[in-house]
Amino acid sequence: MSDHVLFARGPAPGTIRLDAITPADIAATRARLPAAFGAPPRTRALRWGIGLLLLGYLLYLHWLFDFERVFTNLPRVWVIVRLMLDWSQFATWDHAELFRSMIETVAMAYLGTMLAALVAVPLGFLGARNVIPSRIFRFVMRRIFDGCRGLDQLIWALVFVRAVGLGPIAGVLAIFVADVGVLAKLFAEAIETAERKQIEGVQATGAGRVAALRYGILPQVLPVMISQTLYQIESNSREATILGLVGAGGIGLRLSERIQINAWDQVAYIIVLILITVALIDNVSKALRIRLIRGG
Amino acid sequence: MGHGVLELDHLTRRFGDKVAVAHASLKIQDGEMVGIIGRSGAGKSTLLRLINRLIEPSEGRILADGRDVTALTGSDLRAWRARTAMIFQQFNLVSRLDVLTNVLTGRLNRMSGPRVLLKLFTQEERALAIRALDRLGLADVALNRADALSGGQQQRVAIARALMQEPRILLADEPIASLDPLNARIVMDALADINRRDGITVLTNLHTLDTARTYCRRIIGMSAGRVVFDGAPEDLTEAAVRALYGEHGAEGIDERITSTSLSGAAMPALAR
Repeated sequence: MSDHVLFARGPAPGTIRLDAITPADIAATRARLPAAFGAPPRTRALRWGIGLLLLGYLLYLHWLFDFERVFTNLPRVWVIVRLMLDWSQFATWDHAELFRSMIETVAMAYLGTMLAALVAVPLGFLGARNVIPSRIFRFVMRRIFDGCRGLDQLIWALVFVRAVGLGPIAGVLAIFVADVGVLAKLFAEAIETAERKQIEGVQATGAGRVAALRYGILPQVLPVMISQTLYQIESNSREATILGLVGAGGIGLRLSERIQINAWDQVAYIIVLILITVALIDNVSKALRIRLIRGG
Repeated sequence: MGHGVLELDHLTRRFGDKVAVAHASLKIQDGEMVGIIGRSGAGKSTLLRLINRLIEPSEGRILADGRDVTALTGSDLRAWRARTAMIFQQFNLVSRLDVLTNVLTGRLNRMSGPRVLLKLFTQEERALAIRALDRLGLADVALNRADALSGGQQQRVAIARALMQEPRILLADEPIASLDPLNARIVMDALADINRRDGITVLTNLHTLDTARTYCRRIIGMSAGRVVFDGAPEDLTEAAVRALYGEHGAEGIDERITSTSLSGAAMPALAR
């Protein structure tokens, strides 16, 4: 370890100027450190080859699609669009029912996600490597998360509609189960990236294991947890509109009814309602996120 | 160039109603090695960042060879930054890139868009990067990831990156504050070597007085954003130090306590 004498020893390597580099310098450096000059030509050719092959495959896949149908059916699309824009019957629509359903959808998303978040916090800790060293236990936890997550909310909704009957309760349960899996996984990953130094600092005071989690890890990951939960609420209020289609309550049910009877004007109205609601929730949750994260 | 100067003319920077740098006026000759000292919060970092134009001044001008560089924008500004290389207390290397690529980023300012995006560095650039690393004793780790190195090694990689910019001025913001005494000495020796052999002007913030005394023939002291001392190490008397750091009890600052130097002279209490 006498690096500091390097500056004085041997022939002076000279100043660092690009125009002072000669072909001889390059040859000498290359002989000494070939890897510094990038991958050898064969490896490089192989990489390009694989890249081009993948690109070609993608192009080929597009070929398989039947683009013609898009153009031949265009007139029918225009008819529907025209029907959607005609809102002359606005006064006769059942606004009370639609608004109630819209609120039901948002409530489903909110309730399901919040319950999921509460359950996911302890599960997340149990699934994190830096909390539970046991590999087997962690493996089991992670597979449970995968199980919840692996099935789409829509499938869970179908299951729960059979179990508890038509209506929003089935929707809440579907969102809850699917989101426990998603959030627990995200939380566990956030916990694993928590900085060790801060945990060590708390442990060094003689604090117990739970105390170290509470004071060393939770403050680090809480903002992440909150922002992920808020994002899930946003995302689930969009998804929840679909749950209605299978009978799990909310605006989706009304939407599917109106599509079936070709009431395109009301379909357009419901879509506008959904867009406005989602935009509102997005903005509220963004504002909340900024506030909560700043405050720690 | 020969007789170039860097001139700060009433350079001021406010953050809200807090003044970080207040009417700093300095002339720095080409080839000087200048140490800037002062309490934390005195405006040392802000001053260096102002010179590199990482921060915009609220008032005042920066002149290089009489040319105003305060108003530079776009590619002129980036060219100015390339010529005033900067190294940081926390090294600021890209941790997921290898050492060689980190050093090669020193050339980005002079490279064309496609070459930048595709990481197409020329053979000359690669050889130069190895030469720069060689000079800092690090060619052997050229292909390691930057975060696999020790702090001292990382700071030397940062210096190699700075050298690749072929800078005229090297700005060092507390380059040794995160290093142990041996590595601190290696890094300071490297800066002194660059200053002496390449004639690159070095401006460095330092938090220990004895390092400034050992390596710099000119010391600038800052307090509350103002330049309150500008002179040779010999002029930095105990009274001057007290004016800089304020009254810390009757005896002021004992340099033996703050010192991180390896030389015995600065640590008599430990030597005996």
